[in-house]
Amino acid sequence: MTEYAHGFLIREDDCAGCMACMRACPTDAIRVREGKARAINELCIDCGACLTTCSQGAILPTSRTLDEFGDYAFKVAVPSPVLFGQFPLEVRPEHIAHGLLAVGFDAVWDFGVDLRLSTLAIADYVDKWSGPRPVISITCPVVVRLLQVSYPKLLEQLIRMKPPREIAGSAVKRHYSLELGLPEEQIAAIYVAACQAKTVSIEQPAEGGRSALDGSVGIPQIYNSVLAAARDAAKQGEVRADFDPVRSASMVSWSTPRPLADLPRHHRYMSVTGLPNVIQVFDDVEKGRLKNIDYLECSACWAGCGNGNLTVDNVYLSQAKLQSLAKDLPSTDPITEAEVARRYPNEDFSIEHAPEPRTTVVVGDLRERVRRMQEAGRIESLLPGLDCGLCGAPSCRVMAHDVTSGHASKGDCVFLSKRRIDELRRLYLRKT
Amino acid sequence: MSEELLSRSFTLHSHDFDRAGEISTEIKAMLKELGIDSQVIRRVVVVCFEAEMNVVMYADEGTLTFVLTDEDVGIEIADRGPGIGDLDRALEEGWSTATDEMREMGFGFGMGLPNIRRNSDSFDLRSEVGVGTTVTSRIRLDGLD
Repeated sequence: MTEYAHGFLIREDDCAGCMACMRACPTDAIRVREGKARAINELCIDCGACLTTCSQGAILPTSRTLDEFGDYAFKVAVPSPVLFGQFPLEVRPEHIAHGLLAVGFDAVWDFGVDLRLSTLAIADYVDKWSGPRPVISITCPVVVRLLQVSYPKLLEQLIRMKPPREIAGSAVKRHYSLELGLPEEQIAAIYVAACQAKTVSIEQPAEGGRSALDGSVGIPQIYNSVLAAARDAAKQGEVRADFDPVRSASMVSWSTPRPLADLPRHHRYMSVTGLPNVIQVFDDVEKGRLKNIDYLECSACWAGCGNGNLTVDNVYLSQAKLQSLAKDLPSTDPITEAEVARRYPNEDFSIEHAPEPRTTVVVGDLRERVRRMQEAGRIESLLPGLDCGLCGAPSCRVMAHDVTSGHASKGDCVFLSKRRIDELRRLYLRKT
Repeated sequence: MSEELLSRSFTLHSHDFDRAGEISTEIKAMLKELGIDSQVIRRVVVVCFEAEMNVVMYADEGTLTFVLTDEDVGIEIADRGPGIGDLDRALEEGWSTATDEMREMGFGFGMGLPNIRRNSDSFDLRSEVGVGTTVTSRIRLDGLD
């Protein structure tokens, strides 16, 4: 079975066993054993709910620093559009680009072009798609992983197109390899990420193969230094970046929860944010509803990517800033359009393999599986149904299944065993 | 002869739009846990959901019976309600007696029964006007479409 890479690390020493992460996990992927949280690899979809919930700072994103890319001859930043809403208003996008150069990147990629290319490619794809609708967006890695784990049949509706960051990754390598005469391996395409899930998707793309990007750095890691340099640039009016990274409203719309602003009008789009809402909508799609929607854009974070777990600013504030930025901008701009016209006919945006379902191991024949399910139902009926979590599983239902699969024992329930209460006393009371 | 492995019965109430669809969600979770092929699950979910909606929209009350055998999934939906006068027309795509209100909620496009038939390997529809309607659908587990 595939070993799934994840972007989080539970530091056992700091884990208080408080069960907050276990209760927050939307895929029931966490158990608390011996007072410590443990993740079940196959079930984790990297949404980051645990990371956000942990009050102990025991769950950390596994991120890299810019220094770790030191071996590359040339480092190129591919900034998530979210980045441009993270700074005070007087710090303009070109100052932020300047800041990125100041902290050690050798160039800043004009990502707005790749985003615009993606929009056009999505529109073309949706026009040509003859399979079941809606077509589902591939941009949010958590949504893709959710499909792999919980909605395998809907994977065929996932757009078979590289996400914008991957399109940018390939373009960065091509461009600078040609310009500098360096082999592509010596050029680092580094995503400046607003969420940890993007980092994971670069490390291990859901569609298999290798990412065109070489890694990512989270916004918080470079924030302070970028801000300091950007402020200086804003004050002195000196900007090292040779272009304005945010020239059109098109780019801004990629980091807001609204559907992409520049998609054609004859398509019906729907945008859903927040994992529980995405789950509800996928349930509906599975029932055969929403067939009249052409393209479904899903983001695991409430209010979209601006609420990613590697952002600095309050999501509403950053959106207000992006909107005020977009207010003065045209929907598209000539520089972007010229570059898009040049690249669009020559690039292939399709992915070779569609992401495959994460296989859960099926044990025994159907009769045996029915028997185990009935056994789990029987055990569940003995449990209190309070989902207190004291057994170390997020709900009585999950607990019942853990018992049938041999991963837990009925005696882990405080209602069924005094031993468990003593054990919990020993684990938790001595801390105070 | 196929062997029955599991059966469940659910009660359906008229105009219960809030809870409509819950049964198909529950059946989906059950089949998923049993490791049934996802294509088969999708067909079962569509059949259950459409049948559920039919009862919620048109009938007084009904029962959905789900039976899993080692060969297939059987779904029977029996309702007490107005019944269907013209069975052939009811199976025509786009034919519907839905009210504007139902259409506003995204239903009543005359796709329910045709959709159930399309997703079934065997399908049966019986009805008596003024008494009720019974839809029977079987979906094979070997995933033949």
